[in-house]
Amino acid sequence: MDKRRRALTRLYLDKATLIWNGNVVSGLDALNNFFDTLPSSEFQVNMLDCQPVHEQATQSQTTVLVVTSGTVKFDGNKQHYFNQNFLLTAQSTPNNTVWKIASDCFRFQDWSSG
Amino acid sequence: MSLPSGHTMGHTDQVAQRRARCSDIYQRRLSSRSEKVNPGIHSSSHQQQDGEAAMHGAHMDSSVRYTPYAISPYNRKGSFRKQDQTHVNMEREQKPPERRMEGNMPDGTLGSWFKITVPFGIKYNEKWLLNLIRNECSVPFIPVEFHYENMHASFFVENASIAYALKNVSGKIWDEDNEKISIFVNPAGIPHFAQKELKSEKVEKIKLAMNQQCDVSQEALDIQRLPFYPDMMTRDTKMASNPGKCMAASLHVHEENIPMVMSAVGMDKWKGTEPGGKCADRSPVCTTFSDNSSNINSILELFPKLLCLDGQQSPRPTLCGTEAHKTLPTCKGSFFGSEMLKNLVLQFLQQYYLIYDSGDRQGLLSAYHDEACFSLSIPFNPEDSAPSSLCKYFKDSRNIKILKDPYLKGELLRHTKRDIVDSLSALPKTQHDLSSFLVDMWCQTEWMLCFSVNGVFKEVEGQSQGSVLAFTRTFIATPGSSSSLCIVNDKLFVWDTSHQGTQSALFTLVPTAFSSVPAFSQEQQKMLPS
Repeated sequence: MDKRRRALTRLYLDKATLIWNGNVVSGLDALNNFFDTLPSSEFQVNMLDCQPVHEQATQSQTTVLVVTSGTVKFDGNKQHYFNQNFLLTAQSTPNNTVWKIASDCFRFQDWSSG
Repeated sequence: MSLPSGHTMGHTDQVAQRRARCSDIYQRRLSSRSEKVNPGIHSSSHQQQDGEAAMHGAHMDSSVRYTPYAISPYNRKGSFRKQDQTHVNMEREQKPPERRMEGNMPDGTLGSWFKITVPFGIKYNEKWLLNLIRNECSVPFIPVEFHYENMHASFFVENASIAYALKNVSGKIWDEDNEKISIFVNPAGIPHFAQKELKSEKVEKIKLAMNQQCDVSQEALDIQRLPFYPDMMTRDTKMASNPGKCMAASLHVHEENIPMVMSAVGMDKWKGTEPGGKCADRSPVCTTFSDNSSNINSILELFPKLLCLDGQQSPRPTLCGTEAHKTLPTCKGSFFGSEMLKNLVLQFLQQYYLIYDSGDRQGLLSAYHDEACFSLSIPFNPEDSAPSSLCKYFKDSRNIKILKDPYLKGELLRHTKRDIVDSLSALPKTQHDLSSFLVDMWCQTEWMLCFSVNGVFKEVEGQSQGSVLAFTRTFIATPGSSSSLCIVNDKLFVWDTSHQGTQSALFTLVPTAFSSVPAFSQEQQKMLPS
């Protein structure tokens, strides 16, 4: 996100969705556009936690809930505290397992001040 | 540029006024939406002196076109400019606002009104704020229709170059707490006060003249016809005149935004969970409502923020595409996938927090799957040395960025509903503010719903009684039996907005000061980074 923004969407599934401060971005093309329009960023992650998602919810598609929080400074904007949640899902190939973002939810803690 | 009366407000006057203003904030916020603004009266004492300079400044800008139709039907820059100046000089003394008669030109293009917004400007006294801006602004300006709208202060100016100059003031002025003041600028259609102007007798004559060139059959210029930024304008104007309509508009917009991924998935599994369905097992989490519509209305009344949040968007800090650098998208309010899911989730949250806040959380057992997971976290801030109202959550906080002990990592991830509810029961007693809730429904499949709730709650007992804390809680739930949701994953993140210095997004509760707290136990100290 900070240093190789163009490579970011490789981490997402084709049909992944992002809700960014209430804005819905759906699918890789839209995600590419979206990340392109965001100013450059500097993230500082202060909190990270994760939980395995129960298979009943995922129909045995191995999934992990990741929750993170910290601060971010977008170029031209003031620093914000943020919360971000991901659903990561395992894509297994014979050789290895690749984790990809199926869903992403991002919000400033002080979203109403822009 | 000084005020016509030569008076500048003293510092103590300003502070006292500002404090008085602050105590009025909630009052004003509630009334501002229905406020009728008086056209042209507000800043009239300033206008005469400022007007001359503003006109002069405006005439220097060849990109702005004035259209005094009373003078001449011609739009050519060269010829009418001189006439414009003459006319204006004659008319200005009597009725300054009258000048602002421009609207749709015969060829349908816009006039040049801009809305200037100071976020959270409700904190500031009008005169103080305008003076501050004037001192920094490179051109003089006439602020028209200064008003407070929700938490912000706004006014209109009638010139693109003035608007641009005002935009450049953003971030270059500070308030008395040394906080930077931002200024956002947006093109506006014809503000409603200008529309009212157009109904005056004088305007009727103008219309007669216009009729010769174009068909102006309607009584007043229709703001809805303006092509630019319809979202911004309709929300602003609708908000002022009819908050109810604003809600409907907001809901409508969101439904249109349902991403293909979500809507394509079969909704059948979730349909059984409509409010109004009966619960066979009579679990406390599942409530039966006899009437669907009253149920929805009563739920929605509990969550006003979820409906009106769109109207509270921060304006985008751009000016008609003249910005070269990238800007952040506007922050929006809650997102639900659909009306049905919204009702489902709201009903769930209402029931969940009713029990959570009741003093006995054992009732939540039926809300969780047998093998559900729960964990909670509080922020880790390296500069955070002062004990805070979060300390009661500290021992349960699972932050794998700093927690390396695998045993503790396992322990702090609660597993099985019994374990979870016992753990929840040990947390401080709370009172959640449902009106502060903001919900993001960020993943939905046939088998699960994943949503995050942001809001505030108050501690209602113990040393931190009265403390207001903010939280984000992420639920992953599957369709339960008998019209309910069954939680499989629950992640709670709690933080203290005042302690972090974050300006809270949630204004319904006023934060209180912390109480003193005991030092950390040995177990807690072990968890601190070495």
